[in-house]
Amino acid sequence: MNFSQAMLVFVVLAPGMVFAVLALLWLLGWVPAERVLCRITRQTFSACVLALAVILWKLASTGDRAVVVMFGNWFAVGDYHFPLVLIADQLSLPFMGLTVVLSGLVGQFSATYLHRERGFPRFFLLLHLFAFGSLIAFAAGSFDLLVAGWEMVGITSVLLIAFFQQRPSPVENGLRVFAVYRACDIGLLVGVFAMHHWWGTASFATGLPQLTGTQDVIVCLLLLLAAAGKAAQVPFSGWLPRAMEGPTPSSAIFYGAISIHAGAYLLLRVQPMLAESRLASILVIVIGVITAIHGTIVGRASADAKTSLAYASLTQVGVVFVEIGIGWTWIAVAHILGHATVRTLQFLRAPSMLHDYHQMHSAMGGELSPTGSRLEDLFPKRAQLWLYRWALDRGHLDTILDRWVINPLMQLSKLFARLDGMGLDGPVRRPEEVAISMRPARQGGS
Amino acid sequence: MVSSALILTVVAISVPWLAAILVAVNHRQMRVIGFVASSVSVLASALLLRGAPVGESLYQALMVLFSCLALGATLVIPRRDCNPGAIGGILFVLGSTLLAYSTQNLLVLLVAWILSTIPFCSVHWLRAQSWRPQTALLLSSIALALAIAVIAANGHAISIGSLKGRSPGGMAAFGLLVVAVIFRKGICPAHAWVADAAEGGPAIPTALLLNGHFGALLVAKLIVPLFPNTARNLFPVLSYLAIATAVYVAIRALTENSPRRLLAFVALSQSACILAGLESRTSEGITGALVHWFVVTVSTMGLFGILRLLEVRFGENLTASRHLGLAEHAPRLAVFFVVFGLALVGLPGTLSFCSQDLLIHGTLASHPLTGLLLPIATAMNAVSVFRLFTRLFLGKRRTGFTLMADALPRERWILTAGVLFVVLGGLFPNVIVAQRSAEAETVEQAIRAPAPSHSESGVDQ
Repeated sequence: MNFSQAMLVFVVLAPGMVFAVLALLWLLGWVPAERVLCRITRQTFSACVLALAVILWKLASTGDRAVVVMFGNWFAVGDYHFPLVLIADQLSLPFMGLTVVLSGLVGQFSATYLHRERGFPRFFLLLHLFAFGSLIAFAAGSFDLLVAGWEMVGITSVLLIAFFQQRPSPVENGLRVFAVYRACDIGLLVGVFAMHHWWGTASFATGLPQLTGTQDVIVCLLLLLAAAGKAAQVPFSGWLPRAMEGPTPSSAIFYGAISIHAGAYLLLRVQPMLAESRLASILVIVIGVITAIHGTIVGRASADAKTSLAYASLTQVGVVFVEIGIGWTWIAVAHILGHATVRTLQFLRAPSMLHDYHQMHSAMGGELSPTGSRLEDLFPKRAQLWLYRWALDRGHLDTILDRWVINPLMQLSKLFARLDGMGLDGPVRRPEEVAISMRPARQGGS
Repeated sequence: MVSSALILTVVAISVPWLAAILVAVNHRQMRVIGFVASSVSVLASALLLRGAPVGESLYQALMVLFSCLALGATLVIPRRDCNPGAIGGILFVLGSTLLAYSTQNLLVLLVAWILSTIPFCSVHWLRAQSWRPQTALLLSSIALALAIAVIAANGHAISIGSLKGRSPGGMAAFGLLVVAVIFRKGICPAHAWVADAAEGGPAIPTALLLNGHFGALLVAKLIVPLFPNTARNLFPVLSYLAIATAVYVAIRALTENSPRRLLAFVALSQSACILAGLESRTSEGITGALVHWFVVTVSTMGLFGILRLLEVRFGENLTASRHLGLAEHAPRLAVFFVVFGLALVGLPGTLSFCSQDLLIHGTLASHPLTGLLLPIATAMNAVSVFRLFTRLFLGKRRTGFTLMADALPRERWILTAGVLFVVLGGLFPNVIVAQRSAEAETVEQAIRAPAPSHSESGVDQ
């Protein structure tokens, strides 16, 4: 293993090791002080940034296109193997850089923002776990490993949405997000299986699978399901406002920067396969366009800052999907980097937005006058009203999901409960009427 | 001359039984007696595993695993439950299960099968207001007894080794064995007893009984090696039933509010995947099933153990219908619960991620359409486990609860050991997967082996 490879391994493993050690010590009874946690976080992510800089410098000086580390197989059974490959190439490096820089910044911001919060150690542990999961997903040289990182990001995201655990609303919204993630991840699991089945491996360190037309379409559509779920694209956008229940720093890094773009990363990774499949490409563009329109309309009717920002984020990710569908890969990467940085800043400033406005008004000597005409003025009055109601219910997406997926499933479950209760003397337990998590969200962020 | 393996097997089985008698007579130091007896079983089983040849160590590994579970159970069991019935029952079930794992004789297997159910036929033990657990266990025992009777009536020996590949007793014996598996394993439509037993019985010993996985044992030990030809043609039926069970109980768990029943449904759904994997006839699927056997066992024991600890602290009327906010009292138990729960449903970084990966690949390869149901069932199980976690541990603290201790050091160390097993197993899966892979090849070869000639098979008898 040469120096660059060692640095790559360090970058990926460092947050994971910190998480593992701190979590184990906590389980055995140790409660770390805030100052200790902040110092460890600062030093970990600073070291990761330095290590990534070294990798970049090495790549630039040697002219290599990628650093690849092959650990062999994580496990193997017969012809089936799970390759453990890390790769830092032109696509993964920007995402890895974004992850470590923003994780470090968010950690630094949270040291003050969450000071004396009851879940302070929990937040920092989850931040390290999130960074570890993201780095695995972005540095993975095989889709198998990408799945591992992908799932870890999902779990961390849900646990942070439920961070304010004393209130039922964040907890139930976390459960709802978890359900959507798990449902969409089926696409990724089956897609990876299809690659193994048709190509023999899911490693892309030496190139993407060579599949026939139909196989290519099937794999791309399965991966698109996973990407759309993770990126909150239509029809899965309903979970995004619910996710705003988490603390602002986690909203910033998850839904302003890293997690929301993970779906786009997956599509960028398989872009050559997408380019071969016209159907999948068109579907990516259509989903992106619909999401962008949905995001911009619903965002305008959102009553709180974080939800407005979340929908603004959604709009941009929709545009990124369109760019990927068209094949403008590097424009999409640049768009993601710029958008993630700006949106993180906006999220982190959101709690003090009123203060900022007051300062601005003081400096201006009065309130700012509204400027220009608004887009919705182009529509007739009746259409405006209809659009407003449509936006208030967030495009009815949750309602549709409830009516056509969740409620039938719950009814089926209740039917099974009645069948199971037949023949018993005792009172049959009443199944849950309607899970709180399944009710559509009316209020967004906190 | 008596072999050392036989001595070790006798020690591993008889010491828990003797200790169970001792506990019944002497009501003092029960936890210590249980701990020592289980430790002896662990040690003897470990020595047996060490001496077992590669590819034939499944039952020795299961003996080690089950002894470790019993050891953990004797330590974790709350003081309120630490009575002669519970400790004696745990030791009795331990001895019976190890006997079933180790035997190569049909009659001994039947005896072990029946012995392991005896504590659950006692009204004092199983307080379920349902006739289903006893009936299911009784029917499974009758079916197994009849199958063995049919085999013996056809003039066959009762040594499993001498019956391999000979389809003794023909379709009648095969059918009866499948019926025994269905009732013991809780395969649809005989699934409801598992939840009834989990709700009515003592939590930790019942979890031990369910985690013996006698149904899967019967498949791996008798059905596949003895009936390879019949299994090749009719096994998919059992597989479809197992997949249907996995999906059915996963849907059923979505609206269940009793924590014990919910956990039982999720555990049943996940353990049904073991049968589906065993039947997949691919080395990935079979290996995944064997590894999953280990994961489901440890995770389920951990979850039921934590649930019981919560019950003795906060009362037995815990429910998933509202938020109880117990994490405020017991943050470490909350973390243990979420790790075990997510480890049961394929959390990355745990052993179940590998086993699920292999299982899904194996079942999808052999049954592309029905295999698709497994990831769907797992996703629903994940939602159910997470729902239970959020309802029990998150939300506003109920004012009715007095301040209670989090995990005690004794509980903490045992639960940490369980977490380390699933996590380290997930980080370094090859240690376990390679062993199970060798055994899976043996199972796969048994299924794929050409049918024996007409004269020796006895299929048409």
